[in-house]
Amino acid sequence: MQWGLQQVRRAPLVLFVVLYTVVTGGPLLWVATMSLRTTAEIFKDPYGLPMPAHWEKFAEAWTKSNYGTYFWNSAIVVVIAVALVTVFGALAAHCLARYNFRGNRVVRFLILSGLVLPPQLVMLALFQILLDINLYNTLTGLILVYVATHIAMTVYILEGFFAQIPQDLFDAARMDGYSDFEIFWRVTMPIGKPAIFTTVTLNFIILWNEFLFAVVLLTDDDKRTLPLGIMHFTGSHQLDVGMVATGLMIAILPIIAIYAFFSETMIKGMTAGAVR
Amino acid sequence: MSVPGWLSRFAGRGQARPEIDARSAGIAVLVVFLAPALLVYAGFTIYPVLRTFYNAFHAIKPQGVVEFVGLSNFATLLLADPIFWKAVANTSVFTIVATIVDVVGGLLLALCLFARAPLAPLLRVVWFTPVLMSYVVVGILWVWIFDYDWGLANAALRWLGLGAFEQSWLGHPSTALWSVLVAHEWKWLGFNMIVFLAALHALPSEVLGAAELDNCGWFAKLVYIIAPMLRGTIVNLLVLSFIGKMMVFDLIWIMTGGGPLWSTETVSTYVYKRAFEWNTFDLGYPSAIAVLWFVIILVFIAIMTRLLRQRERLEF
Repeated sequence: MQWGLQQVRRAPLVLFVVLYTVVTGGPLLWVATMSLRTTAEIFKDPYGLPMPAHWEKFAEAWTKSNYGTYFWNSAIVVVIAVALVTVFGALAAHCLARYNFRGNRVVRFLILSGLVLPPQLVMLALFQILLDINLYNTLTGLILVYVATHIAMTVYILEGFFAQIPQDLFDAARMDGYSDFEIFWRVTMPIGKPAIFTTVTLNFIILWNEFLFAVVLLTDDDKRTLPLGIMHFTGSHQLDVGMVATGLMIAILPIIAIYAFFSETMIKGMTAGAVR
Repeated sequence: MSVPGWLSRFAGRGQARPEIDARSAGIAVLVVFLAPALLVYAGFTIYPVLRTFYNAFHAIKPQGVVEFVGLSNFATLLLADPIFWKAVANTSVFTIVATIVDVVGGLLLALCLFARAPLAPLLRVVWFTPVLMSYVVVGILWVWIFDYDWGLANAALRWLGLGAFEQSWLGHPSTALWSVLVAHEWKWLGFNMIVFLAALHALPSEVLGAAELDNCGWFAKLVYIIAPMLRGTIVNLLVLSFIGKMMVFDLIWIMTGGGPLWSTETVSTYVYKRAFEWNTFDLGYPSAIAVLWFVIILVFIAIMTRLLRQRERLEF
């Protein structure tokens, strides 16, 4: 009796849960099927299964439609920007969390105020500045902008974590004669690994998906990152739905592949700023 | 050979000064730690912000022509630019609705999983997936879903026997903004869900258990016990959502470009258009829009945090 009643009361819950799962997962599966079908097949039956599966579309997108270039541009920009923002951010966060010095609070306020700056407030001026210093329409310029605009979040997360490391460890390290830099490298970094991992994940996903700065600061086709490349391709091949879907999968797959192995880390990383 | 104290501390171990104070550091050490971050940040964030404020009071034309115009950009903006006001109206509707949906929807989804729905750990991972997708992917995908002829939205309506409601969702001024909003929420609900779920799991189970013993209904439990205890998280997410929605650009740009008939034009898309698409060739005017909007965002954040901040912290 008890059992039956509970099942009945839970029915709406289960129904809703199933429905929402279909709504979130369904569209992604749809893109996945379309990426393996030709446009003619899709227009004949938009919701059919990919039979036969046209795996060669990925090779075609990669070589003929320039997706290979877009992919490598994205990879270069994101890897370098994430590496720099992590190192610069960790150094600054360690310094802010560990040392009492005059101006500590000013520096902290300055950097953390970057958390509320809308990209629109800087993008027009960045366009001018990069033009001035001849870095407009270069990957280097985009990397610098990415590092600068993601320092705030990185320092915010890392400093919060670093500040919780017990001071005793640092006193002991100092007693043992460690230099300041050794303390950073041998104490803070190893202990702070989880937080560093979090910021790396967060920055990687955000930058891999970044669109606004890229669209303002890049124009050449051979410099486009993946989001820009896909937009460009969609604009010029609006009706070639099959090929656009293949392009979307090329952008999605790296993220899904990492997500499959590190789902907990990625969830933690993406929400790190909001969960307290 | 005597090495200055600060240098020896930085150079290597063994030469440290006699007193041990791990909290202090010489100026050179501080510079090495802070300079990389501060230099990049100053050059590519602080300076651009200042330059945008400077731009807002000037007309910036090509070939380096800069002309001081005082407050005239702001005057035009506020008094003689109907498209700006249309954009403000759209952004406001979008922000208010999307922020509420974000917080309420995220909480309800989190409660579903918290109520031990079957397969909860797996569903949590699936529901979060859209958060990881780029706006370009989400935008193009939803343009297809809303496609008149073969999109999922109309196909689902036909399948349900509601063919009469078929629409060109993104092509009609009365539905376009709402359609983009649906796509936006599809991407972001999972984020709010995860944050709420983490907060729910951090709640003291004794309180929830006590409510159950008192035979408290689930709705009463939600309104009188769970929501008050989650107040901090709710405020956080409200502010976070609010900031994100006030600046919404990518998805709108990708799905509608602000059209049809400015029905989805937001402040951010308008800034972009005035700067790079209109042949007014003036960076000053869009900068003025960006500055004004930033100030408005700051004012609202201040009001929200003041109004919603917990007067006395709940003890539990």
